[in-house]
Amino acid sequence: MRLFLRRVRSVAAKEYKHILRDPFTLVVALVLPLIFVGMFGFVIDLDYKHMRLYVRDNDQTSVSRRFLQEVSSSGYFDQTPLHGPAQADEALQKNNTPAVLIIKPGFGRHVKAGDISDPGQAQLLTDGTDNVQASIIQIYMRGIIEATNALFLPEGGEGASARIRTRFLFNPELSSRWFIVPALSTVIIGLLAIMLTALTVAKEWENGSMELLLSTPVRPAEIVLGKLIPYFLLALFDVLVVFVLALTVFRIPFEGSFLLYMLACAVYVTGALALGLVISVVTRQQQAAIQFAFAVGLLPSFIFSGFIFPIENMPLFFRWFTALFPQRWFLLISRTLFLSEAGFAPLAPAFWGIGLFAVVMIVLAVFKFKTDVEP
Amino acid sequence: MSIESNIIQVENLTVAFGGFKAVDGISFEVKRGEIFGFLGANGAGKTTTIRCICGLLNPTSGTVKVDGKDVSSSTSVLKPRIGYMSQKFTLYPDLTVKENLAFAGSLYGLKRKQIKARAEELMQFIGLTQHLNEPVKLLSGGVKQVVALAATLLHDPDLVFLDEPTAGTSPTTRADFWRLIRTLAQNGKTVFVTTHYMDEAEYCGRIVLMERGKIIATGTPQELKEQFFPQPPVELVFSRPEISRVRAELERSNIGEAENFSGGLRVRVNDWARFEAYAKEQAGVFAFHPVEPTLEDVFLKAVSGRKGA
Repeated sequence: MRLFLRRVRSVAAKEYKHILRDPFTLVVALVLPLIFVGMFGFVIDLDYKHMRLYVRDNDQTSVSRRFLQEVSSSGYFDQTPLHGPAQADEALQKNNTPAVLIIKPGFGRHVKAGDISDPGQAQLLTDGTDNVQASIIQIYMRGIIEATNALFLPEGGEGASARIRTRFLFNPELSSRWFIVPALSTVIIGLLAIMLTALTVAKEWENGSMELLLSTPVRPAEIVLGKLIPYFLLALFDVLVVFVLALTVFRIPFEGSFLLYMLACAVYVTGALALGLVISVVTRQQQAAIQFAFAVGLLPSFIFSGFIFPIENMPLFFRWFTALFPQRWFLLISRTLFLSEAGFAPLAPAFWGIGLFAVVMIVLAVFKFKTDVEP
Repeated sequence: MSIESNIIQVENLTVAFGGFKAVDGISFEVKRGEIFGFLGANGAGKTTTIRCICGLLNPTSGTVKVDGKDVSSSTSVLKPRIGYMSQKFTLYPDLTVKENLAFAGSLYGLKRKQIKARAEELMQFIGLTQHLNEPVKLLSGGVKQVVALAATLLHDPDLVFLDEPTAGTSPTTRADFWRLIRTLAQNGKTVFVTTHYMDEAEYCGRIVLMERGKIIATGTPQELKEQFFPQPPVELVFSRPEISRVRAELERSNIGEAENFSGGLRVRVNDWARFEAYAKEQAGVFAFHPVEPTLEDVFLKAVSGRKGA
C-alpha cells in the first residue's frame, strides 16, 4: 500500500511537471475556459426584448390603457397601433411582427368587476413559425396580465386567491442568461476535463515512454490515479474561473451552498477526467483521442443534458437514456444551486448519477489499460 | 543444475502479429552472469524476443522462463529484477536527467535518498557528470543513450536487457558502452544485448544469430567461427591486375564468396579442395594466406548457407 501511494505520487509529480512545461496543456486549461464562456455566454442569448407588437385597443378605457402601459414598461414589447382587423392579418403574414394583441370591448368593465367566471378578454395572436419565440411571448404576456390583475384587485377581495397566478420562482426575470450560464459551466467544465486527460496516455504511447512504464513494476491503477490528481487540481481551478465569471461578468446570483456546489464539481470533474483517460487508453493515438474527446465532451452536454432540449419532453426511452450522462445530472445540480437555496436531499439522485459515473470511468480506465506493447 | 545455471530459458517461442510471424519457434537459454549477444539484421525478431522475456509482450505460443518462473504469470516478481533499455528512446524529453532518473527509480519503489545515492554512484560509473539538470531533449544522441542506460540500471537489476544500445552513436560512445557492459558482467549481472554491429559481438560470451524470426546459429564467438570455418577465410594478394576476373570465376563456380579489400580479395571458401586446385592453376596470378574469420564472416556465411539450402 505504501508502495502504491509512492508510485501514485511520483506519477502525479511527473505529470505535474509535464503540465508546467507544455504550453498546449496550459493553454487548454487556462485560456480555453475564458474563450468558451465568452463565446457561449454572449452569443447564446435566448432573451427576447423589444419585440414588435401590434396593438388594437377596442375598449379604450383607463383599465385597457393601464394594461398597455404595463405591456410597454415590461421592456419586452414595442407597440404599434393597428387600424382594423385586415391590418392584423397583413402584419402577421408580412412576417414583420411576432404578435398581435387585440383588446375586446368591455375589457375594463369586466376586470373591474373582478368576476373570475367572466373576465376581461384580450386576444393574442402569435406567429407560430418561431414557436420558441411564440411561447416566450405567451409567457411574458401572462406575467403582464397577472401584474395588471393585481393592480385592479378589489381591496381584500376574495378573488385574489382564486385567480391563476404564474410567478417565476428562482428566476423572476426569466432571464435566459441565468438559465444558460449555470448550464454552460456544465458543458465547459466537462469538455475541458475530458480534453485535459485525453492526450496523456496516448502521448506516452506515441513517444515511447509507455514502454518504460510497462517494463517497471508500476501498475495501471497507479498510473491512472497518478495522472488524475494533477489534472483534477487544474480542472478545479477552471471550475473556479467559470464560477467567478458567472458571478461577475454575467451577474448570475448564486443562491445555494457553495460547498455543495464545489463537491458536485469535484465529483463531476473526476468523472470527466477519467472518461478522458479511458479515451486515451483505448485510442493510444493523440489525434484520434482529441477528436473523440471533443465529440464525447460536446454532443451529450448539448443533446442529452437538458441544456437545449428539456428532458421532460423527451420520449420515455430517452429520458432514461439521459441518465447515463453525467452532464444531465450536473446540469441539474448546477442550475438548482445557482438559482435556489436547495440543500443536498433533493439533489441526492443527481449526486449518485455523477458519482457512479466517476467510479465506473476510473475502473474502466484501469481495466482497459494495455499492459503489453503489442501493436 | 542446468536450470539453476540458466537464468533465461526460451522454448519454442512464436510471436505472430496477424499472419506475420515476427518470431518463429525459437529456443535458447542464457546462462547466469554471461554477456549474451543477440545478433541479426533489423526486423529479424530480436526486439520482439526481448519484449517477451521482459513481460511486455505475450507469446503466441511457447514458453519463456526467467529463473524457472514463467514470465507471463509472474511479471510482478520478475519486473523489479529486470532492467530493460529499449531501442527507442523512452525517457521524457521535457524532464531533466535528474527528474527522469528520479521518476524511473520511484516506480521501482526506491526512496528519494536511495535514488540520489544510486544515481551518483551510477554517474561516476558511467562517467556522466554534466547535463544533470538539462532537459533530456537538449542532449546529444550519445548522452541520451548513456542516460537511458543509467535509468535502466538504477534499481540494480541482475538481468539487464540492452536493445541496440549503440545504434547511431559515435565510435567513442560505443567503446564506452562496451566497457560498461563488461564491467556489469564482472559484477555478476547477466547482460542480454542486441546489436547489428558484428564487431561488437566479439565481446559477447555467447551469441545467437537470428534471421527472419528464426535462429540460424548459436555458440561462443570461437565456436561459431570453428563451426562455419573449418577452413579459414583466405586473403588473395595479386601479382597481376586480374582481380575482377578471379572474383567472377570464384563466385561463378561457387568455390567461395569474395570481397574486395585494398589490393586484393578476401574469400570465404565453400569448397576447400576445389579452391586449392584453382589456386595452383592461377599460381602466377595471386598468392593466398589464411586469416582469422570474423563474426561478420560467420553471419554472412550462415545467411548464405540458408539461402542455398
